[in-house]
Amino acid sequence: MGTLETMKDIFNNPNKIIEEWKKDGKKVVGHRCMYVPEEIIHAAGMLPYPTFGTPEPIKKADSYFQPCACEFVRNLFDLALDKKFGFLDSMVLCNTCDAVRHLYNMWDTYVDSVPCYMVNNPQKMYDESGFKFYRMELEKFKKLMEDLSGNKITDESLKKSIELYDETRRLLKELNDLRKRDIPAISGSEFLRTSMASMLMPKENANPLLRKLIDEVKNREIKNADGPRILLTGSIIDNPTLIELVEDMGGVVVVDDLCTSAKYFWYTTKPNNDPMDAIVRFNLERTLCACAHPSEDRYDYLQGLIREFNIDGIIYFNIKYCHPFVYESAIFRKKLEEEVPTLTLEVDHSLSGLGQLKTRVQAFIEML
Amino acid sequence: MATKVTAPGKKSLQTTLEIGKAIRAYYGGIKEAQKAGKPVIWSYGLVPREIFHAADAPVIYLEHLPLMIGAKQLSGHYIQIAEEEGFSRDVCAFHRCFLGCAVAKERDPYLEKFFAPPNLIIASNLPCMSESKSFLYAADHHDCPYYFLDAPINTWGKDIPEYAIEYFAGQLKGAIDSMEEHGFKVDMDKLKESINLTKKMMGLWNEIDNCRKTVPTPMSTVDGITAAYPLIQLPGTELGVTLFERLLEELKERVEKKQGVIEDEKLRLMWFGVPPFYNMGLFNYVEKYGAVVVKSMVEYIAGGAFDPSVMDPEKPLESLAYKALVDIVNPTYTNMVDFIVKAVEDFKIDGLIGVVKRSCGLLPGYMRLAKDAVYNGSGVPMTIFDLDGLDIREYDDVTSKANLDSFVESLLANKRRQ
Ligand code: SF4
Ligand code: SF4
Ligand code: SF4
Repeated sequence: MGTLETMKDIFNNPNKIIEEWKKDGKKVVGHRCMYVPEEIIHAAGMLPYPTFGTPEPIKKADSYFQPCACEFVRNLFDLALDKKFGFLDSMVLCNTCDAVRHLYNMWDTYVDSVPCYMVNNPQKMYDESGFKFYRMELEKFKKLMEDLSGNKITDESLKKSIELYDETRRLLKELNDLRKRDIPAISGSEFLRTSMASMLMPKENANPLLRKLIDEVKNREIKNADGPRILLTGSIIDNPTLIELVEDMGGVVVVDDLCTSAKYFWYTTKPNNDPMDAIVRFNLERTLCACAHPSEDRYDYLQGLIREFNIDGIIYFNIKYCHPFVYESAIFRKKLEEEVPTLTLEVDHSLSGLGQLKTRVQAFIEML
Repeated sequence: MATKVTAPGKKSLQTTLEIGKAIRAYYGGIKEAQKAGKPVIWSYGLVPREIFHAADAPVIYLEHLPLMIGAKQLSGHYIQIAEEEGFSRDVCAFHRCFLGCAVAKERDPYLEKFFAPPNLIIASNLPCMSESKSFLYAADHHDCPYYFLDAPINTWGKDIPEYAIEYFAGQLKGAIDSMEEHGFKVDMDKLKESINLTKKMMGLWNEIDNCRKTVPTPMSTVDGITAAYPLIQLPGTELGVTLFERLLEELKERVEKKQGVIEDEKLRLMWFGVPPFYNMGLFNYVEKYGAVVVKSMVEYIAGGAFDPSVMDPEKPLESLAYKALVDIVNPTYTNMVDFIVKAVEDFKIDGLIGVVKRSCGLLPGYMRLAKDAVYNGSGVPMTIFDLDGLDIREYDDVTSKANLDSFVESLLANKRRQ
């Protein structure tokens, strides 16, 4: 089996990762989203596990959340109620959108089997007083992880974890760079599966696989690469179906500004003798999450992607009621459109209504 | 011709009429101030306005324009304008309405009386995503500076740690610096004085609440929502204190005379969610059953459930930071849920009405939590139904009234059985 296939297999069967990890009695800590430092969890000897949803329709969660909460979050809560996250030893959320804040409220109240913790992060970037606040929060979080794992987190262990996670980021970025070419080496849907599999796996396993994969695909050219080059952005996409839809309509998805893709690996940690400070600055000296400020920073980053990846069109896939991206797309669209045509689409996380989406994507790609 | 189904709420107190006048006078004055060369700030209800009073700054609050024009049934028009600008229906109706007002090429004469373009925008993420993001569009449109006041969510309940107070107090200082940079002079002595006045106001508000707990209640939420206006707009001012003193006097008199809002009070209700601002008469609708909506949660936003004794005029920014961070609407849920449970007990509530404004990212998420906590605490039931209190286009009078009918009838039947 080629490494792309291995990645696909891991993406399709994440339970295997958990089984393997738990064999020696080690713990798993679920989280959502980017202000929960995975390195701290890892340095305590536990597996940080980014929680993703499934395209299944919501069952139990709808009697807790109103239908006007983002469907991704309702889906996560549904899985939690259904004990599908029963393998987690703890769940950690952070201060991002209203929906995630409510996920904490619900989880803390109604899911007894897995305790839930909230990391309180600032939403203002580049602010020294915010660094101080976040540092205090992270010190508490570090202690919590030490208590949960029974392992002390030393500066040395934390530095090692940072280096390991940065290596994953560097490798994913290197792989992603192969999409800059006129004919990309890897398709959008292949990349998303790889990126998500790497996020789920212990990085000790992900890194050698990524190295191997880069080696395998560096001289590859994908088929059907003559369509317009698309930048995908918007709410979380945790399933390649939407990307495949764009690809089926003739678009070439060359970069994805998603929490399951570029946002995860775009930056690496700056050298710093104090590893906690390094983590604080890693998270707060950039605006990648649409909840954060200043949003100009995110706009500049998107512009960078447009240039670097030679983009012909942008598609915002906004999950219904995802307020961060509903606002962002309305605010950015006018400006973005001066550079490249931009399409904003409202999608269901459960991927219903794909037929209608297809028509709109097709019309957009034909227009490009 | 379509029959008009909405109606303003019937207020029964003299002071709330005066408060209504004070609101209009305040907004009327903003335009004049700008004409006279004063810069105008746009901000939100949860940004501590003591800092604005200390600079004598004219401020338009995002919540107020939609409410005022909502009461005149004009909100739909401006919401439509925002939607044409690309804001989907998922965006909070308050924000769509305000953005519609902000970008409209023409404004109707009523709005025109109050509308003044911003010279500075001070926004915050307290309590929701909309508050932090929607003004960015307005700032861009009016090409005006924007300060973002970052509020941590409250993961601590009443015991806010020093480092969180310090962070938010620092954010407030940043807002003050930004005001000074844009033509305002913030008088720190006045700020200290306004903390004293806020303490006084909050104390009075708590006494007002105590009066409202009496059976029959001397004041319903129709008056209460207007009465809560000074909490948002006038903390830290003499006018706010005077208005609350008068209101308290009026209520005490009523309590003494055992004068209720309606003659034979059979049921006491509480409203959770955004009230129907274009149809406040809906609150009076239940009176035919002998039911009174005694309280609504929105009356508590901006410090209404707050113990003022913790405020220290010598530490004005820290005091304001504490007050803002413990506000019941600041997520996470503990303060909100505790507060609802306590209010239901204190106000001897028989039933809780929860309305879901679908475009709100915050309040609908509390519905189930409040329902369970209240039911488990005191056995009081809650009904939950859709009602967008601002976007009149979404309003369905027949269904809303049918929902109220069946809830109130079931409460009465329960009472009869007891
Ligand atoms: S944009 Fe990403 S990091 Fe931000 S809240 Fe959404 S999923 Fe989380
Ligand atoms: S950022 Fe959007 S998609 Fe992600 S959890 Fe929040 S509302 Fe849902
Ligand atoms: S709390 Fe709800 S109604 Fe209020 S501004 Fe936020 S989204 Fe709008």
